[in-house]
Amino acid sequence: MRLSIRLAVVLVATALAANVASSSVSAQTLKTVQERGALNCGVSQGLIGFSIADDKGAWSGFDVDFCRAVAAAVFGDPSKVHFVPLTADERFTALHDKQIDLLSRNSTWTMGRETELGLVFAGVTYYDGQAFLVPKSRNLQSALELDGSKVCVQSGTTTEPNFVDYFETNHMKYEIVRRETAAETLAAYRDGQCNVLTSDESGLYALRLQLPRPADHAILPDVISKEPLGPAVRQDDMQWFNIVRWVNFAMIDAEELGVGTNTLDAARQSNKPDVQRLVGRNGDFGKQLGLANDWASNVLRTTGNYGEVFERNVGLHSKLGIPRGLNELWNNGGIQYAPPIR
Amino acid sequence: MTAGSKGLAKGSLAVLAALFVLTTAHAPTLAQSAASIEAAKKEKEMQIDEQPGHEPTVEEGELPDVYRRQEVFFRTSEPAGTVIIRTSDRFLYLIIGPNRALRYAIGVGRQGFQWSGLERISRKQEWPDWRPPPEMIDRQPYLPRFMAGGPGNPLGARALYLGNTDYRIHGTNLPETIGQAISSGCFRLVNDDVIDLFDRIPIGTRVIIKQAAQL
Repeated sequence: MRLSIRLAVVLVATALAANVASSSVSAQTLKTVQERGALNCGVSQGLIGFSIADDKGAWSGFDVDFCRAVAAAVFGDPSKVHFVPLTADERFTALHDKQIDLLSRNSTWTMGRETELGLVFAGVTYYDGQAFLVPKSRNLQSALELDGSKVCVQSGTTTEPNFVDYFETNHMKYEIVRRETAAETLAAYRDGQCNVLTSDESGLYALRLQLPRPADHAILPDVISKEPLGPAVRQDDMQWFNIVRWVNFAMIDAEELGVGTNTLDAARQSNKPDVQRLVGRNGDFGKQLGLANDWASNVLRTTGNYGEVFERNVGLHSKLGIPRGLNELWNNGGIQYAPPIR
Repeated sequence: MTAGSKGLAKGSLAVLAALFVLTTAHAPTLAQSAASIEAAKKEKEMQIDEQPGHEPTVEEGELPDVYRRQEVFFRTSEPAGTVIIRTSDRFLYLIIGPNRALRYAIGVGRQGFQWSGLERISRKQEWPDWRPPPEMIDRQPYLPRFMAGGPGNPLGARALYLGNTDYRIHGTNLPETIGQAISSGCFRLVNDDVIDLFDRIPIGTRVIIKQAAQL
């Protein structure tokens, strides 16, 4: 009895596999990438901590490392990436027109972007949200203490209605100081025309670095909006979507299991089934994705786990100094949670 | 009961007894050494000798921004008043409300990496006396066997004892060890921080110690 159930499961699985194979004939991103010998990855033109090129053209950053991780999973080599810097306006068209295989450019996952643009987000690599930058001299602990503030905000974004809504909901008075660009908004704050600047949290940490004395300013811990950032791919290729999605998940699972750049060798000797499946010593998870079974090992050896990538590029001890906050693992108080590899 | 099964029972009892002896006699030391090897592999330990008598200057006691005591966003299902120590990021969190904690930077000694779970503060001591453990005296034979509490004492201004264990949260006379994995001690804070924490938490406070995942 048990045997026949197992047989049935195998038959269904085989049928499903054949089905997936036949439906992906039209969109063979993996094959294209492999034949080209490099991943075309869309990134931002220059955003400190997320994607930035140095004077020799070497890219680094949180979003850049995700491109490298996918290249490591596909080729076993994180350097096989061709970075394509894109403006905010160009990014989705570039994906749609197949100039890039993957968009890793601090883009917010929204419903409209999936239903209108034919793309799909493969996960959330960074939970961002709107926050407040204040002078430390104001001695504030919480955004609920902002009553009577003069608030600098960049006009024409969702930032203004978001903060107005927050202030009004919480019965706080405010005065708005609008500026056209991020630089002008920061200048107004620097010159004391306002005593709060509001924008997305990751952006505030970057702006703070440009102030004469960054240490005199704090970003309040409250986040008042949802800006889930993540990599996006085209909707027509489930196999490629799964590869990108599981690279992200494997990096998160790896942090949870204590597997990273420094511990990968030890992890390959581990007796824990979770660890064995992750590093490819147990199961055919890589093969089922169309990759080698040590796909995740290659990511972890070269790029590191989620926590390592976060720390190195944007974390508390990096230049930006962003605390993990919502991006902590689920079992450490955050909401980063990946399904298990099994 | 047949003779056969009696014999079997006797045999298994003997095995059980032997296992018991093995477990009690060797398992803790084995587990401990495995844990410390693991910790040593993972952590670049700061090799630092205790310096009894050294009194830190005000400048030495001033921590870099990221290590200063501060209120932070912190999600947990633990109630306010709980202390959570996360050795891997070298911070101690005192939960003060929903999504809020006071964060203190710590140095973690080898002992501090060897245990995780829940304990309660069992004793609080101002300016604790210091008796260096034998392994420290082996390494630094010139150390005093006893030192009365005071500003030059390696345990610093306050000690908070955890349950019936040897673990404690304490101060330090070497502020530069904050943020580091170090060879000796448990969980150390700069004196200003340990005094602040001491005044906020009563005996009976729940202390949760979390370690990085083991492979």
